[in-house]
Amino acid sequence: MKRILLPLFVGLLLCGVLLSGCVTEKPPAASGETVIVTYTKGTGPMPTLLGTDQIDGYIAWQPFVEVPPLANIGKVLVYSGDLPPAGRWKNHPCCVFTARADAISGSPDITNALTASLILATQYLEKNPDESAELVADWLAGKGNFTYGNISVSSVEVLARAFPTVKFVNEPTDEWKRSNLEFVYAQRELGVLTGSLQNSTDQESLSILFDSTPYDAAKAMVDKRSFVTPRPAKGPIGVGYLMSDHHAALFVAIKKWQYFNDTYGIAIRPRDLAASRPDTADLIVNGQPVAELKLVSGDAGPQLMQLMSTGNIQYALVGNPPAIAAADKGTPVKIVMAVNEEGSGVVVSKSSPATDWASFVAWAKERSVAGKPLKIAAPGKGSIQDVMLRYSLEASGLSVREG
Amino acid sequence: MRYHRVLLPLLLVAAWELAAYFIANPFILPSLTTVVPILANPMSMTYTLGTGSLLENAFASIQRVGLGFLLAASIAIPLGILMGRSVALTDLLDSPIELLRPIPPLAWVPLALAWFKIGLTSIVFIIFIGAFFPILLNTVDGVRAVKKTWVEVATTLGASERQILTKVVLPGAAPTVWTGLRVGFGIAWMCVVAAEWLPGISQGLGYLILYAYNFGQTNLIIAGMVVIGLIGLAIDLVFKRVERRWFSWRELER
Repeated sequence: MKRILLPLFVGLLLCGVLLSGCVTEKPPAASGETVIVTYTKGTGPMPTLLGTDQIDGYIAWQPFVEVPPLANIGKVLVYSGDLPPAGRWKNHPCCVFTARADAISGSPDITNALTASLILATQYLEKNPDESAELVADWLAGKGNFTYGNISVSSVEVLARAFPTVKFVNEPTDEWKRSNLEFVYAQRELGVLTGSLQNSTDQESLSILFDSTPYDAAKAMVDKRSFVTPRPAKGPIGVGYLMSDHHAALFVAIKKWQYFNDTYGIAIRPRDLAASRPDTADLIVNGQPVAELKLVSGDAGPQLMQLMSTGNIQYALVGNPPAIAAADKGTPVKIVMAVNEEGSGVVVSKSSPATDWASFVAWAKERSVAGKPLKIAAPGKGSIQDVMLRYSLEASGLSVREG
Repeated sequence: MRYHRVLLPLLLVAAWELAAYFIANPFILPSLTTVVPILANPMSMTYTLGTGSLLENAFASIQRVGLGFLLAASIAIPLGILMGRSVALTDLLDSPIELLRPIPPLAWVPLALAWFKIGLTSIVFIIFIGAFFPILLNTVDGVRAVKKTWVEVATTLGASERQILTKVVLPGAAPTVWTGLRVGFGIAWMCVVAAEWLPGISQGLGYLILYAYNFGQTNLIIAGMVVIGLIGLAIDLVFKRVERRWFSWRELER
């Protein structure tokens, strides 16, 4: 008898534990009308979730904002620069060029040359958007088609539509630096800052996060069109980036290396000239190869920051939130300059009655009152898109619940 | 080849198409017509989002998995033989092995990156983790299961420890070791997606699937899955054929 009792007891206990987990865990009651924000770990699943009616809309970076109208599953509600409150997110910061502090101090000439290459490419992008969009389509998708459901669209077309909604700028103005602090505040609120940025003043935060000396030196060289030839680096140098058109400057710098080499004498030449996405390249200044660059694509910013903290890469193009989170935890990372501003957007399902933000808010309130609050996907908690979405919803009198 | 072996797969494909037609939402069940062109043109660059052709991707994966598998086999088999022959060694190693064994290879990814840096070593390490344990455990079992009478007879006839090992234990354990290799390769092949999740690579079937996922390209994901399945099947057939040819004595002996 005793032999049966013990397993029985353990079994009952287990059932109890499992059940209590289901019963007691209630979401905190949110006041007023709510919208559910759901995190999808990146943008990959978003079109599928929208196409199967599991979400009512999403906020994402480009080119994923352009996908729903092309795949006939949704429509663009608003681009991120126009999110409410009016003017609040105009020219909002997005991706940044970062460097390890020891790369800035240890090999300043190489850091400056790399920075200059990206500045030149950014200038090229703004002047030649159509050609650049095509180069980016080649980098991201080998100029192939994207297939959503049974609709296939050319990646060149998708990127040509996405490109005008991204602003490619580099200058780390004081105003731009300060606007990055919005994401420091947001991460504090989320409780993810536990290190040096947890209680820092704005002035301290700025000095922890930014070092624009490479930008100033690079900009001076670009303006004079004369570049210092660095001493060749000893080993390969890692440059991380994400598969997003926000990082077009890097792709264009590499794809148009011949042009930059001939025009300015500074270029990033891929080892494999035929590859869609070369992974090794040489930084060339005044005809001299000065560094072997390993081009490492991460699937998210935090991963690139992890690679930077372990010394796998020395430079990275990432969104500012992962850079902020990494700096907070003691990774010796400095933000050198901007890579782009804006370039995200909110889309809603095809059946949605919303046509602009005001009608979207009305729809959200109606659905919340009816007991079926809207579900909007964001790529990750604390991401630029998440922070903007929450801010805009709350500014419009809606409360946010995760789910 | 018996024809009824391909009957069910063909029926499943037909059922998929039929269901796709009736559900009529390609996001839930895409028609295989979007997948077929990818599979039918394994040398083409058009369908793979700039990752090179399907064939190149498959080749990159086979190379990595092969390396990881060979490394795992070359460590697991000798260690397994030692453990099978020595109770003390088994007592010493058993708990750490049982502790490490259930950890999914994917969980090792962050550590692999920190330890071995970006590159082939990290990838091979992830595959190694997947293949190592099944090979090791089967080897230990195989060595232990060699009939005591065989070893005793050999000892009585004056065989040295070395002779017992090479003439009795190894041949006796070989079928079970081979099963371990077969299972190990299967798991190593399954790890290809986890291994190619590592940054710094630009080719491979696992990479292709994850890259397609970033862009929500279901048809390319399915094509990648089909190729992984087909290659796994082909390699397993080779393992089975060898087993039937060289180790069929085991069935006679029982």
